[in-house]
Amino acid sequence: MQAPKWLNIERRPIPSGRTIFAVSILAIVAALIVMGIFFATYGVSPIRAYGSIIGGALGNWSGFSETLRRMIPLLLCGVGLTIAFRALFWNIGADGQLLLGAVAATGIALFSGLPGPLLLPAMFFGGFAAGALWGVIPAVLKVKLGINDVITTLMMNYIALYVVLWLIHGPWRGPSMRGYAYTDMFPLSARIPTIGQSHVHWPTLVLGIVLAIIAYIFVNRTRSGFETRVVGENPHAARFAGISTLKTVVIAMLISGGLAGIAGVGEVAGVHYQLLDPTQISMGYGFTAIIVAWLARKNPLAVIVTSFFFGVLMAGGDVIKVNLGLPYELINVFNGVIMFFLIGSEVFMNYKISIRRH
Amino acid sequence: MQRRTALIAVMTAVLLMGIVAVGIAKEYVPGTPIVAGFIYVGPIGDYGWTHAQDVARQIVDKEFPWLSTVYVESVAAGDTVSTIDKLVNDRHCNVIFTTSFDFMNGTLAAAKKYPDVIFAHCSGFKRAPNLATYMADFYQVYYLNGLMAGALTKTNKIGYVGAFPIPELKRHISAFAIGVRTVNPKAEVDVRWTEAWENPAAAKEATEALVAAGCDVFAFTQDSPTVVQVAAENGALSFSHYSPMYRFAPKNVISGELVHWDKIYADFLQKIYKGTYTAHNLQNVDYWWLLGQGAVEMGAKPGMPINPVFIDKLKAVTVDDPVLGKIDVYDLIQTRLDQMANPGITYNPFQGPIYDRKGNLEVPKGMWMSVDSLTTMQWAAAGIVGPWPGEP
Amino acid sequence: MGWESWVISTLARALAYGTPLLLGTLGEIYAERSGVLNLGIEGMMIVGAYAAFVVTYKTGQPWLGVLVAAVVGGVFSLIHAFASITLKANQVVSGLALTMLGLGLAGVLGRPWVGLPLFTPFNRITVPILSAIPIIGPGLFTRQCILAYIAMLLVPIMWYILFHTRIGITIRAVGDDPATADSVGINVARVRYLCVIVGGIFAGIAGAYLSIFYRPAWTAGMTGGIGWIVIALTIFAFWNPVYGLVGSYFFAALYFLAYRMQNLMAPSILKAMPYVFAILILILVSRGTLQKRMGAPRALTLPYTRGEE
Repeated sequence: MQAPKWLNIERRPIPSGRTIFAVSILAIVAALIVMGIFFATYGVSPIRAYGSIIGGALGNWSGFSETLRRMIPLLLCGVGLTIAFRALFWNIGADGQLLLGAVAATGIALFSGLPGPLLLPAMFFGGFAAGALWGVIPAVLKVKLGINDVITTLMMNYIALYVVLWLIHGPWRGPSMRGYAYTDMFPLSARIPTIGQSHVHWPTLVLGIVLAIIAYIFVNRTRSGFETRVVGENPHAARFAGISTLKTVVIAMLISGGLAGIAGVGEVAGVHYQLLDPTQISMGYGFTAIIVAWLARKNPLAVIVTSFFFGVLMAGGDVIKVNLGLPYELINVFNGVIMFFLIGSEVFMNYKISIRRH
Repeated sequence: MQRRTALIAVMTAVLLMGIVAVGIAKEYVPGTPIVAGFIYVGPIGDYGWTHAQDVARQIVDKEFPWLSTVYVESVAAGDTVSTIDKLVNDRHCNVIFTTSFDFMNGTLAAAKKYPDVIFAHCSGFKRAPNLATYMADFYQVYYLNGLMAGALTKTNKIGYVGAFPIPELKRHISAFAIGVRTVNPKAEVDVRWTEAWENPAAAKEATEALVAAGCDVFAFTQDSPTVVQVAAENGALSFSHYSPMYRFAPKNVISGELVHWDKIYADFLQKIYKGTYTAHNLQNVDYWWLLGQGAVEMGAKPGMPINPVFIDKLKAVTVDDPVLGKIDVYDLIQTRLDQMANPGITYNPFQGPIYDRKGNLEVPKGMWMSVDSLTTMQWAAAGIVGPWPGEP
Repeated sequence: MGWESWVISTLARALAYGTPLLLGTLGEIYAERSGVLNLGIEGMMIVGAYAAFVVTYKTGQPWLGVLVAAVVGGVFSLIHAFASITLKANQVVSGLALTMLGLGLAGVLGRPWVGLPLFTPFNRITVPILSAIPIIGPGLFTRQCILAYIAMLLVPIMWYILFHTRIGITIRAVGDDPATADSVGINVARVRYLCVIVGGIFAGIAGAYLSIFYRPAWTAGMTGGIGWIVIALTIFAFWNPVYGLVGSYFFAALYFLAYRMQNLMAPSILKAMPYVFAILILILVSRGTLQKRMGAPRALTLPYTRGEE
């Protein structure tokens, strides 16, 4: 299981952006070939399948708008996660942080009594704060008490889920919803404008791109960002340099949780216009965003590209389901295969592989 | 500068595509083939709500040569409009059924976007000229099952595993409890909520919790046969729900609720085919179909209203009915079934006077509950114990 | 119906629902002890559940179902092992991908098996003598699945292997300090492969427990998130099989009590309870143990290549 003798594997210094891109494309192509076999077994010619997936996700506005809509929460959560991962904080709780952001936005939209023009800014700010709070709790628990971040963030996903369920079945259930577990619809001034009749709430998208740029600057150009990297890459050095791990991890999780919270604001104020069943809001975006952030090699700017790619995959999944009439579980298989090829290709980026001659 | 120009060009193109995308659909001409799209909230493999919807789709698909159908599984609420976009534009559907309450807002938005397409939304309350609503409701069947449960419980504790505390379930549980109390005024219906339509562990542990609390007969609203199986493992009895679950526990399933969505689909589609229903006259079309229309059936498998194992036991219990006099429960069930299933319904489980479990008079003497108050029901009938979120 | 009934039923459910959690946790402890985090438990579990159901349904042999589920779980875990050990891929992402793949494959393949009852599940076993002990007897040793007792017995065995045998030392060495382990001649990759496969086998058996005993039928997505609880329990247990048992039964007991006590408190708040408790307990036990890094394998999630550190 160690590499065979005839194979020479050498670590490349740092793969260039071009290498990463080229190898990733090759991996995706290889994955598509494998999935083509699946499509063929279902009696759908792979060419037709990919034609309609690409056409359906990119080729017309209604498909493209779905790609963009899916991209928004992935972009926001993904950018935040790059920062958390840089601080070596395994935040798998973006789903929960997103839900808390949705809760805060709903509370402000329906019950704050703020005048119309102030509503949306207040919702974004409140959503950021709520997501950040949900993210900072595990950060403090990790640094102060040494409690594993994977478990706390995972558990807090469930707690967030039940908080939302409790609210929509209990105190926040909308009087106009005839007993169903939804809040009332948001007033018009609390809805994020969309492009045409689509669900593309573009202000959130713009905000996400701006925040990706800011995050990039934060990571590469600020002292705080530098400290995050040191804490992540070499905790011992960080301690010697007098960098406060607590401060660094808390800042990273403020950003990570906060951005996920903003994603939650976008979902309730840009898509649903009300708080509803938590799984309908979070849709597993927080988990997909982990992959998005990883594919971007923890580079916030690259998240713009990778979140778009996953937006295409999700919108393409709809095409598999609706246009090709294939079982919806095939989408999971499809995504799983693509991901395995992408992560499998990592070895070709980080290592130079050649055949030993002699 | 060049970049900015390119950006503007791209954005303009995108917006133009948006305008073009709207309004491709053409209005349906009666007598021409119908392509009906079905949007499901869960997987067909749930053996519950979605499974039953898909069985109905297959029945109508076979029945009418002029009909072809397509379906989409596991659609999220937020994806309603985008799914309809594809069904209309790419799969050329001219009739679309959205089969869950979750799709209500999306269906309404899509109905406005595609005024020439005919829509029908299941279990909702918002309609439009091209959007009808429909529901096959079980409350009469739950009442009949309640009569059986009241007669067959030995511990006087009956368990109910509910999914979410919404009006539909509150109506069903209350009807069930009214049936139970008619036969057995001492019995209680103990409710647990799983807050999931289908989660085997949640349904199993909720059932086990009720077994531990002493319940020996079970009814439920879950999209899987879990409760039936768990009840049988513990020697308890149960009622099947939605799909025929008799075979999961042939000795322990008493009866149940079966749905025939195909009756509604057949009626609706035929009326579209004949031109009775168009994209302009559905504003007041609301199917609220019950036993009388054959949209629901009492039983754990089609054609078997009561498991024969239990018939003698039901005959052995008698009640004193103010109108019918002394009557055994089996006969009472048959009488009530006839009264509710035959045209000119002469009996309604929600017939006043009905008091809720807090002692408030909810339905005055001699009155029947209106469909509107049934679909928004919040209170719990007397005899129900356990949590009741949103209780007035 | 006094307090005894509460205790007995809670114990019984802790064991019944705790068993799949425990099985999954035992396997994941070994995988993580060797340095490989596998977030694909849910995926391995559901392919195991699917395989076990199909085999048991066809043959009427639950033991054969368990065996096949173990093999299928083990083989399925090889994908993660290959990606994360040989190709040195990111383990978090690979595990997530494995979960997706498993849910997808089992969902697609399971379609024809929906709505079929399984009448040949494991028999319920009452242990002689032990079942006569008051409270504990009827709680833990009455009418449980044979797999529940096997899982219970595996705990001391797997604890002993991990902490008191050469095999265990090897595994922990590979998970803590692969370079040193390599320098004394341990084949790091082989140990990690085997541990990941052990994790897959256990997850497969846990899936079998679900589909041929716990709820003997097949429905899409029937693992319902149990795999994620296993991930949490592994950490909760500080990578120790004994604490894994405590955590699994404790979580299952709370899960059951959330339903048992529902007539006393709002359902949503109660259902959040097991998750809140998990965090609270970690806070309580964390005091003063901060320096010890809570027993996490030091090379967890880190791929190993000779000559690099």
